[in-house]
Amino acid sequence: MIKHLIGLGVLLAIGMTYPAIFPNNLTIAISVLLFAGWATSWDLLGGWNGQVSLGHASFVGLGAYFVAIGQSQFGLAPWWTMAMAAAVAAVLAYFWGWLTFSLRGPYFSLSTIAVAEILRLVAINEEWLTGGATGVFIATLPEPFGVDLFSRTAQFYMALAFAGVVIATVIVVSRARFGYQLRAVREDEDSAMAAGIDPTATKLKAFMLSAALTSIGGGIYGIVLAFIEPHVIFALLLSVQIALTAIIGGRGTIWGPAVGALVLIGAGEIFRTTFAEANMLIYGILILVVVLFVPRGIVGELARRHIRRLYAKRA
Amino acid sequence: MPNVLRADGITVKFGGVTAVNNVSLSLGSGEILGLIGPNGAGKTTLFNAVTGFAPMHSGRITLLDKDITALPAFKRTRLGFGRTFQTERPFEELTVLENVLIAAFLTVGRRSEAERLAMNVLEQVGLADRAHQPALDLNLARRRRLELAKALAVKPKVIFLDEIMAGLNPPALREMIAFVRSLSGQGLAVLMVEHIMEAIIELSDHVIVLASGEKIAEGTSHQVTSNERVIEAYLGTD
Repeated sequence: MIKHLIGLGVLLAIGMTYPAIFPNNLTIAISVLLFAGWATSWDLLGGWNGQVSLGHASFVGLGAYFVAIGQSQFGLAPWWTMAMAAAVAAVLAYFWGWLTFSLRGPYFSLSTIAVAEILRLVAINEEWLTGGATGVFIATLPEPFGVDLFSRTAQFYMALAFAGVVIATVIVVSRARFGYQLRAVREDEDSAMAAGIDPTATKLKAFMLSAALTSIGGGIYGIVLAFIEPHVIFALLLSVQIALTAIIGGRGTIWGPAVGALVLIGAGEIFRTTFAEANMLIYGILILVVVLFVPRGIVGELARRHIRRLYAKRA
Repeated sequence: MPNVLRADGITVKFGGVTAVNNVSLSLGSGEILGLIGPNGAGKTTLFNAVTGFAPMHSGRITLLDKDITALPAFKRTRLGFGRTFQTERPFEELTVLENVLIAAFLTVGRRSEAERLAMNVLEQVGLADRAHQPALDLNLARRRRLELAKALAVKPKVIFLDEIMAGLNPPALREMIAFVRSLSGQGLAVLMVEHIMEAIIELSDHVIVLASGEKIAEGTSHQVTSNERVIEAYLGTD
């Protein structure tokens, strides 16, 4: 654990120098960091606990809307609204998990698609609060310690801190009792019960933590976009992208989702500029290749080989 | 001897089929109860009903005079049940130590202490040297011992062993028999479902014979193996 935390610290320190070195490539870096944080949060539930959500855009959207509406309608600073969004996301996750976790199999995954869809419809129809289909615009933001939150540099540091906090959370969880409960439930619920673990309670906790963390990143995303539209933020595409990022990077690994974000968002950007129209095709092929040949994901496969080698040496 | 476990009038139905019909059993600490019967007699079903892994139609179960009939399996574990599964179910992605650690975390929250408890149990079952190996790589005899270690690491008062002797070679079988005897020596109540008569005869203080979901005989292993109805159930009649 110490090793991973030190590694994270070093990466964050290197990351802090990024804006000085690449001042013109901040937007893409912010995307990578947000996706790294979201995918890592998703993975707490989807990878470590084995409950695949296809609705994490719900929590991104909650965070973004809370920050935007809080600022534009009530003059609330983003840090307050992000905390509120995290609490609401956790409550929503609890409620949704309570309804669906007693179902085994793919029902949970399918049901999560509905959550984002419901929130999207609410956002479109409750115009008085959300601006309806037109969306909400953030015109002003507070300037804590004189920092302009509209600047890409400030947003980069927020995204970096978000990704760092989420990865640190997973590092700590992976070694703790809770982390083992998550894995036990993923591997075999009956065996988990034989070890005294309540599978439903474990899934609920994982879902709540995952949702709360995701919504904080959503709040930062709201600031980055400054303009939030329901069909963009509650899109199934975003939910699927978050899940794919974690799956391709390596489910249930500490670094997998972050590596996935680097590869997918980075590659996506390069493809967009190089192949123009064909970029979605190539993106699709890349995903297919990983799923077919590296089903554990990039980091998952590397970790497996590493363990095999260690063990082969000892035996 | 005071009863640790009592199960009264256990009945399990699957649709219209009665898999276990009105079977009762009781078990004191340090006592070994053997559950035998031909295939399809309802042994594992009874076992699962008592441990909370199969829904019961009627019956009452008490652990140390506490009624646990309505409790889900994981709560029964927390109160003192440990069980193995007939088809071993290690958490394959994890190491042997981590497998046992999950169970050890039930009574110990701190990782270092839980690891110590898990290592102790692994030493007990003779898997300490395999602690850092992936559970996936264990052979059958070692998987069985890992199942045992997981069941023991929850610090149970009653341990349920579901055919842990099946498929073991003679030396491994001898070791397992000696190990189960040592468990009862430590005061654990043992309920075992077993096909290997050698193990049943050597170990059981008391044997219950099931056939077609009914209890057809009960007594010492000597009494039941000479019982007409038992021989009939196993061999059939002409």
